[in-house]
Amino acid sequence: MSGRLTAVLWIVPFVFLAWSSERGWAQGDAQESEQRRRLHSLGGRDLEFAPRGIDPEIWKALVPSENPLTPARVALGERLYFERKLSRDGSVSCSTCHDVRKGFTDGRLVSEGIGAKLGRRNAPTTLNAALHRDQFWDGRAASLEEQAGMPILNPIEMGQPSRDAVVRTLAGDPDYVRLFKEAYGREPNYTDLERAIASFERTLIFLDSPFDDFLGGKTETLSPDAQEGWRLFNGKGRCVACHRLNASNPLGTDFIYHNIGVAARSRDFEALAHKASGELGSEGASKETLDTLALETDLSELGRFLVTRRRADIGAFKTQQLRNVGITAPYMHDGSLQTLWDVMDHYNKGGEANSYLDGGIEPLALSEKEIDQLVAFLFALTDHRFADLNEAAQRKQEERAHRTRPLRDTDLSLRKVLPFEDRVLERKR
Amino acid sequence: MKKIPFLKTLHHRSVETKYMEDRAAVLGALKDASRRDFLKLSGAALGAALGAGVSLDGYARSFQPITLAAPRGTEPFRIAYISDSHLYAKEVNDRFVRSLLRAVDDVNRMDPQPDFVVYGGDLAQLGQKEELDLGAQILKALKAPVRMMVGEHDWYLDLGGRWRELFGEDRYSFDHKGVHFVVLNSVVEKDFWTARGLSPMERMQTVAGLDNGKQSPFTVGDAQREWLKKDLEKVAPNTPLVVFSHSPLYKLYRKWNFWTDDAEEVQAILSKFDQVVVVHGHTHQVLTNRIGNIHFHGLLSTAWPWPYAPEGLPELTVEMGRPNPFDPSDGCGDGIIRVHPDGLVDKVYNLWNRNPLTVSRSYTSSSGREDRPQAPGLRRF
Amino acid sequence: MTNGFTARAFLLLPLLAFSCSSEQAAPSAMMVKLCDNETTAPIPQGRPLTREDAQRLSNELMQKWAAKNPGRDWCADEKEAHALVPPADNSELVGKNPQGQGYGDVTDRDVREWSRETEKMVLMGSKIFHSGDLLGSQIKVSCDMCHPHAANTHPETYPKFQVQMGQTVLLRDMINWCIEHPVRGNVLPADDPKMRALEAYIYAQRKGQPLNYGRR
Repeated sequence: MSGRLTAVLWIVPFVFLAWSSERGWAQGDAQESEQRRRLHSLGGRDLEFAPRGIDPEIWKALVPSENPLTPARVALGERLYFERKLSRDGSVSCSTCHDVRKGFTDGRLVSEGIGAKLGRRNAPTTLNAALHRDQFWDGRAASLEEQAGMPILNPIEMGQPSRDAVVRTLAGDPDYVRLFKEAYGREPNYTDLERAIASFERTLIFLDSPFDDFLGGKTETLSPDAQEGWRLFNGKGRCVACHRLNASNPLGTDFIYHNIGVAARSRDFEALAHKASGELGSEGASKETLDTLALETDLSELGRFLVTRRRADIGAFKTQQLRNVGITAPYMHDGSLQTLWDVMDHYNKGGEANSYLDGGIEPLALSEKEIDQLVAFLFALTDHRFADLNEAAQRKQEERAHRTRPLRDTDLSLRKVLPFEDRVLERKR
Repeated sequence: MKKIPFLKTLHHRSVETKYMEDRAAVLGALKDASRRDFLKLSGAALGAALGAGVSLDGYARSFQPITLAAPRGTEPFRIAYISDSHLYAKEVNDRFVRSLLRAVDDVNRMDPQPDFVVYGGDLAQLGQKEELDLGAQILKALKAPVRMMVGEHDWYLDLGGRWRELFGEDRYSFDHKGVHFVVLNSVVEKDFWTARGLSPMERMQTVAGLDNGKQSPFTVGDAQREWLKKDLEKVAPNTPLVVFSHSPLYKLYRKWNFWTDDAEEVQAILSKFDQVVVVHGHTHQVLTNRIGNIHFHGLLSTAWPWPYAPEGLPELTVEMGRPNPFDPSDGCGDGIIRVHPDGLVDKVYNLWNRNPLTVSRSYTSSSGREDRPQAPGLRRF
Repeated sequence: MTNGFTARAFLLLPLLAFSCSSEQAAPSAMMVKLCDNETTAPIPQGRPLTREDAQRLSNELMQKWAAKNPGRDWCADEKEAHALVPPADNSELVGKNPQGQGYGDVTDRDVREWSRETEKMVLMGSKIFHSGDLLGSQIKVSCDMCHPHAANTHPETYPKFQVQMGQTVLLRDMINWCIEHPVRGNVLPADDPKMRALEAYIYAQRKGQPLNYGRR
């Protein structure tokens, strides 16, 4: 009797854990297979040619000479991408925060790592990440390879104590030993791990949207509203100056960093910048220090400044790509904007006044109709293969935007009130 | 130089106490100076000490207190500056108002606050009452006291009528921490409007155009030069002297009135001083020059940047990078002037959204050999 | 000038049409102002104006200007006031046609006509360049505020990738961008006479600069 009771008592916690935690192994396995299924439904890619939608000359420059793409490397990278054993307690893999079913991000404001630890940054999408000049919201990783290896070692993301610990786990698995041999002709090692994941990520190029059909001549693929949105994008909205979108650069970014005032809503940059000068010292900080500062401390809000220590970079974050933006909500480095309408409201009122605001951020005086048109255009930037996700996201965001528009400020957007006016003249509105 | 912690001016001190304090100040300054400053300072200190009959080994042989024309501070002090806002009424142009507000915000956030704020002229764009009043209202929000300097855009609608009501005389002088400050109205133009029968607004609009070649060149003028001579008569030649002027007080580019026609006469009046600093507005750019004993520093505008003149740029000027028209505040800003006890200044250009650019006193006093500011990547061409 | 006031007035008419403003001087009289922004003359009231009225007005304005500026030439003055860079001098072509080519027949009068017409367009461009009102600026900003004498406009670098516009453009596209954003005015169609005049002025001011398309 007691033996069976004991057995039941032993099983109960496991079952409980499996049910309660999204990260339970049983749940984790189910999610992983779901993600894999979705991934394979997106179709394969011929590695011999540049991906569709990107200039072949530019693509050549983007693949590093020491890590050319081969099917073996891509397969290994894919395997590693979903490998939860890469985290300290086996609960988190890259795909946890970069979920195939959620536009390769996680739909959360900020990501959650092992032990349910919350970071401070919104997970950027892996889609087209290969086309960015550097990785992370503050560009602290200069390449896909560098980025791939950092969350694994970050204590609040995947929590591994050291590269060696990771390599030991992989070396102990004969499957991986074989895969690494096939891909790189060597024993598993950390550099090749980073390279393999990067190779896999290089196959995730999704630049085949209704907008691309429109540019190719099929004008009916873009609704009249979205077409007007594209005109506004290049005109009154001033978006194109930072979100550059042209044939040689299909991404929708200028690859540099701007303070548009998102964090200024809740932070005093002056005080933070003071503090940072102390903590970072004169020689600069190591990669690990930067990683910690970026994800765990309030200095995170300084953004690019942590990396370059230039005044223009205080509170500056990367101009993110606009491709597939419809399915990668919530927006901004801290995920503070839930819908594209919130994003429009933020820009329309001229961002948030702060002493380091990029001066090109101005009130735009966009009307409601113009905002709708711009948003329609942005939703048209999602690749066809995610059309279902896009439609669902559009419906959800529309419904939410009808209910609440927390950032809308018509007085500011029409320049009836000026930024700094209330602060300087000490008025309350 | 670091603060010397304990010095306080006591009214009734014995001569020996004062001597001990002065000597400690000199030696303290020597200790904290950088090597370059040390060499300069120790030369000066040695000279001063020997001139005062004090021996540096602390053994007073004969004693003479050091006297100056005015009590001089021992540490640098800071002035903030805001200049060339060119305001229209808010309903007409919100952009210039927004920029001035940003500058006021910048200065109010300084910690510690500057000793005072100097406004470099051209508060209004067309000299209209509503423009000047708007500017005055915004500048009232500054926590530190403000010293105003007049520009041509403020003056030529009513020839200073409203300006005087709001801000007082257009030329004056004052002393602060041992430095003598003079504020000039250096945009005096010979009458070009009566003969042409211009209305006040037509006159103002003519002056407002930089490149129309119809207005007269700026001058300080005979009367004001006389006033300046008299004012400086009682100031000893080794007194630190800072002149605030809207026009540059030298001749840079005639076609854009980056020019003071009687510059040589003014410079002659200033020539008796060991060194003079001229801080001027009007040029809306990073501009540095040195002519003999005069170190010239230009102010940034809050409203818009001027391009560099096609000819006549002073050698010492390290240009600011070409501004981005997408950012209406690029190439604009405000800044800080750190005035050292010897009267020379470090001029900190707080260019908005760029690293601050400092033109240090060692740069101008070494005629550009030391501490050269970083040249920009994107230059004019 | 051999043709006296009439010729000068004829020259004035298109300029009048473009840029002169009418002001209420007193409740009973309306004034028209010459493009020098100073000289004015009253417009007859109470009836529709005829061409003769316009001609008389132009003559009157010109006479007033001449009275104020004795011995001076309006055209030369305007060119000086706008710091006009003269167009290329074609006078070395006059009277030289050894091959007897009809196309190569050039007279003094031709040279004068060509330069006059070119200068007029450039001058018009300068007027628009210096006027926030003509540009339709909602914030009373004109091009010369950031570009005195068209400094820093670099027309010789076009076509180039204009980073503010995210694409490769020509000079007139950038002019329009500046009108839309820093000037906050009315964007001009590419063939608008004002746009053509603005381009003309900017090219004129940069005469002599070697072409260097693509330069950032």
